[in-house]
Amino acid sequence: MKEVFERIRQMLADILDVEGDEILPETYIVRELGAESIDLLELAVSLNSGFNVEINDGDIFLSRLRDYVTEAKGKKDDVVLYLLERLPFLKKDRIEEMMPDLEDGPTLKVKDLVSYVEWRQENG
Amino acid sequence: MSRRVAITAVGVCSSLGCSGEQIINSLRKGRTSFARPSFDDQVVSSPIPDFNIKAFTGPFKDRRYLSRGGQFCVASAVEAIRDSGIKKDLLSEAGLFMGTGPNLDIGGEFPEILDGKMDRKDLMALWMLRFLPNTAASAIAMYSGIHGENLTINTACAASLMAIGEAFRKIRDGYLDLAFAGGGDSRLSRGGILAYKKANAIYTGTGEPDTASRPFDSRRKGFVPGEGGAVFLLEEMTHAERRGTTIYAEICGFACSIDGYSMTAPEPTATWAEKAVRGAMDEAGINPSDIDIVSSHGTGTPLNDRAEAYLLHRVLGDNGPLVIALKSWIGHGAAACGALELAIALSCMHNNYWPEIRNLDDPCHINLNFVREKQDYFARTVLLENFGFGGQNAALVVRNTMHRRT
Repeated sequence: MKEVFERIRQMLADILDVEGDEILPETYIVRELGAESIDLLELAVSLNSGFNVEINDGDIFLSRLRDYVTEAKGKKDDVVLYLLERLPFLKKDRIEEMMPDLEDGPTLKVKDLVSYVEWRQENG
Repeated sequence: MSRRVAITAVGVCSSLGCSGEQIINSLRKGRTSFARPSFDDQVVSSPIPDFNIKAFTGPFKDRRYLSRGGQFCVASAVEAIRDSGIKKDLLSEAGLFMGTGPNLDIGGEFPEILDGKMDRKDLMALWMLRFLPNTAASAIAMYSGIHGENLTINTACAASLMAIGEAFRKIRDGYLDLAFAGGGDSRLSRGGILAYKKANAIYTGTGEPDTASRPFDSRRKGFVPGEGGAVFLLEEMTHAERRGTTIYAEICGFACSIDGYSMTAPEPTATWAEKAVRGAMDEAGINPSDIDIVSSHGTGTPLNDRAEAYLLHRVLGDNGPLVIALKSWIGHGAAACGALELAIALSCMHNNYWPEIRNLDDPCHINLNFVREKQDYFARTVLLENFGFGGQNAALVVRNTMHRRT
């Protein structure tokens, strides 16, 4: 966790032109660091070349999160289980934590990027 | 009564300094930055050492998309906005006219290119922005909140003078009350040097770097590439007077033309360049005898200086106004040269100080009044000329709004 986080912190600091100490695992990437879509595009390039893992932009940045929630509700499925299946790099407690947070804007945090990279490293 | 146009703010990044005061001090003390680049011991360039755009912008993530020339555009614009003191409401009405050059730093951007395969893992998603001409304007607008009429001009070495001229006309003709105008460029990279070396346009030789740039001297051997940027706030005169702001100078006339003669060389008789020069004087409503100083294009290439000297003699006659050549001090700023030379000329105007043409030992034309030694001189009217690859010609007339010192 620590090594992956430190490297992601450096990438975010470079791309967003912010100080590294403003970036913690719990920091919101859009809400707090002000990342825009082109920044996420550049971040995907950096993560891909820095960690040598395939990055699926839609997954890692949770871009379809709200669609998945709507789908799950439409099918009357359990939302948390539905999301766990589609975003397997996230832990159950993290998904539960996100649910009430969705109304306040993009919920993506630095620790989600760490989870994605670690999950990719383990699962190829 | 037609509308008049004032210059009310200046931002500049040059090898002589990044303020009017630094520039005049460098001119007085003879401080230049000519040196050989690390990668080529045959050529000379005039870099701005230790330039860091962040010192101008503070944190600004979009700087990653700026070529070095684009960085000079943005840094100069930020300085001009700061100097103007104008706030968001006026900025949103302002226009933006930028002269920019191509990013020739191909080797720096693609260090491992082989067999034409450009892609690599760490290539930025939006790498193309460093090659698009209007990226600097886009970044300036994002940074500052400028939203008015705008234009990015890529007419080679006439680009930034044309940007200033077009902005002048937009204000004079009532489309805008305020416009930021100027440009920035840098072609000191390996790719830039390679381009002009192969074109046989730049100085090559083993002499002292300080003596390489020698406009109008019979031993001139080509231009010396420089870099930098300058941006001005142009403002409708009564608007500026109502704001009670400093008026640095008035822009009185502009014109441009195109040779239609050669892809690179100037038309040898300078017929069409003369059309631009006379056009700018007509627009300003002045005669050649009204001009006190000519800031020549003076690149130091054999062809340019010969054509320009003929032109100046035809227009100005024997013993005409003083002729300066600022490329002997800063090298050739490419697309930025017009804006850089205007910024330096304004400093000279305000200090009644005109620098000698460096290295002019044996003038190529005997009937022109080249400034051979520094002069303390009050100049009321200055003519600026820039000519570029592709036969681009531009001229601007600027008038001193400061009163003569007694």
